[in-house]
Amino acid sequence: MSNTSANILDIKNIEVRYDNVILALHDVSLKVPKGKVVALLGANGAGKSTTLKAVSTMLASERGKVTNGSIEYDGNAIDKQTPSQMVGLGMVQVLEGRRCFGHLTVEENIISGAYSRKLSKGDINQELEKIYTYFIRLKERRKSQAAFTSGGEQQMIAVARAMMAKPKMLLLDEPTMGLAPQLVAEIFNIVKELNTKEGVSILLAEQNTNVALKNSDYGYIIETGRVMLDGTAESLLNDDKVKELYLGISKKGRKNFRDVLKEESLKKRSN
Amino acid sequence: MIDELLFFMEVLVGGLLAGTMYSLVALGFVLIFKASATFNFSQGAMVFFSVLAFCGFMQDFNIPFVLAFILAALLMVVVGLCTERLVLRPLMNASEDTVLMATIGLGYVLEGLAQAAWGVEVRRLDLGIGDFPVPWIADNLKLFISALDITAGLVAAIMIIGLFLLFKYTKIGLGLRAVADDAGAASSIGIPLKHIMLLVWSAAGVVALVAGCMWGARAGVQFALVDLALKALPVLIIGGFSSIPGAIIGGLIIGAVEKILEVYIGPFFGGAIEGWAPYVLAIFFLLYRPEGLFGEKIIRRV
Repeated sequence: MSNTSANILDIKNIEVRYDNVILALHDVSLKVPKGKVVALLGANGAGKSTTLKAVSTMLASERGKVTNGSIEYDGNAIDKQTPSQMVGLGMVQVLEGRRCFGHLTVEENIISGAYSRKLSKGDINQELEKIYTYFIRLKERRKSQAAFTSGGEQQMIAVARAMMAKPKMLLLDEPTMGLAPQLVAEIFNIVKELNTKEGVSILLAEQNTNVALKNSDYGYIIETGRVMLDGTAESLLNDDKVKELYLGISKKGRKNFRDVLKEESLKKRSN
Repeated sequence: MIDELLFFMEVLVGGLLAGTMYSLVALGFVLIFKASATFNFSQGAMVFFSVLAFCGFMQDFNIPFVLAFILAALLMVVVGLCTERLVLRPLMNASEDTVLMATIGLGYVLEGLAQAAWGVEVRRLDLGIGDFPVPWIADNLKLFISALDITAGLVAAIMIIGLFLLFKYTKIGLGLRAVADDAGAASSIGIPLKHIMLLVWSAAGVVALVAGCMWGARAGVQFALVDLALKALPVLIIGGFSSIPGAIIGGLIIGAVEKILEVYIGPFFGGAIEGWAPYVLAIFFLLYRPEGLFGEKIIRRV
C-alpha cells in the first residue's frame, strides 16, 4: 500500500504509559512531511525519546505502551509491529547514546545494518562504498574495533549502520549529545546530506535547540509530555518565548512554558 | 628417568584429551551466555535430555545410529524453539537474574521430561569406540591413551572450528555477535532477536548432545550427567564466559591440571583431589583475572 498523503509520519494525540502506570506522554501530535527534517525539542525527560520509541515500537521492550491516540507511518497504522518489522518497512531509529557494537569492527557494525535486507556480498560492498562517501572518516577506520573510536565516530557509525537498512525515514535520538561543536556541525551536515541526496525523511530529537532548528524544516517543542509549540524552524528561531526559554536569551526568571502559561493566566485574572 | 617422563606425558595427554570433554560442555554455556548474558543452568539437563533421547531412539525403537543422532539433534532444535517461545520471549523485558532463575526451572522440566519418557535406569551407550588404549600409540610411543579420549578431542576440534566459522563469516553469526554486544541496538536495526535466540539454543542443544555422547559412552547415560556439566563452571571462569576459544583452552587446562595434581600432589591429601582442585584454580582466577584468559574485556574508553 503506498501512501498518497504528503506526510510520511502522522502522530495523533498519543498517550504513553510505562508499566501501565507512569504517564510519560500526555498528548503528543506531530507530522513529518515526506522528505523533510522535523526537530523535536525539549529538555531532559520531556518525552522526546518516548515519542521516538513509540514510533519505532521500541517502547515494548521497555514496558511502555501507547494507551491512546494513533500513529500512522507511510499510510499504515502502527500498533502491533515489532522493531524489526518497522525496519523492514523502512523506519530505523538511531538510539540515544550511539550504542555501537563495541567488539565489532567499524565495518562489521555498518554491515550489521543490512541484516534485514537480503543482499549478496557484492551488493553489500557496493552499498558500503556508497555509505562511505558520506562518512569518509569511517572508511579510514573501517578495521578498528568500534569501542575504541571517538564519540563523534561512534555517532557516525550509528547513523551509517542505520542507513545500511535503506530507510525511508530515520529517527535520530540526540545525535549530538556530548560532542564538541565542530563535530556537532559535521554530524548535522551529514544528516542534511542524507536528507537531500537520499531523500530520507528525518525526525530528530534534540536538546541543542539552536543547531537543530537551523538544520530542520519544522519544529515541535514538548514539555512534560505535551506539545507546547510548533511551527516552521524559522518562525521558532525568531519566537520570543523560544529565544527566552530554549536559546538562553533570557530576561526574566521564567524557565519553561508552564511558567509562561501560569504568568499569563495570573495576568488575565488580575485584569 | 625416561619412564617417569613417559608417565608424565601420559598423564598430561590423557588430561588434555579428557579436558576436551569439559570444553564441549562449556561450549554450550558460552553460546547462550553470548546471546543472553545468562548462565544457562539447564545446560546439564540438556546434556542428559539429549543423550537419553538418543539412547532411547536407538535402544527402544531400534532406529539406526546415524538416524537416531539426527533425530536427537532435531529434538534439541525443537527444545530450543519451545524455550524461545515459552520461556525467553515472555521474559524478554525481565532482568538477567530472572532469566537465570528460569533456566534453573527449565533444567528441572527437562530432567523430568527425559525420565518420564525414557525411564530412570542407567543406559549403556556404545559408540563403537572403546574406552581403552589405542594399540598403535601404545606400541610406538609407549603412551597409553584411550581411543575415546582421542575421538572426543577430534570431535571437539571439529565443532569449535565449525562454530568459529559460523560466527565469524556468516550473516547470522554477525547478528549473534551484534546481539551479544547490545541487544537493544541490534533490534533497532532490524536484527530479529528471536531468530538469534533460536539459533543459540539449538546450537547449544546440539553441542549438549555431542558432549552427552562422549560422557555417556564413558560413564553411562545417567542422571549424574546433569551434575557433571557443572564442571564447566571452573572451565568458564578460567576461559572466560563469552569466549569460544576460552572454553576450549579452559577445558584443556582443567583437564590437564586436575590429572597432574591428582597424580603428583594428590597422595599428600589422601587422593581424590581432582574433584575440587579445578575449583581452587577457579578461585585464583576470580581473584586475579576475573574476566578469564579470553573473556571479552569490558571495554571502556577513558
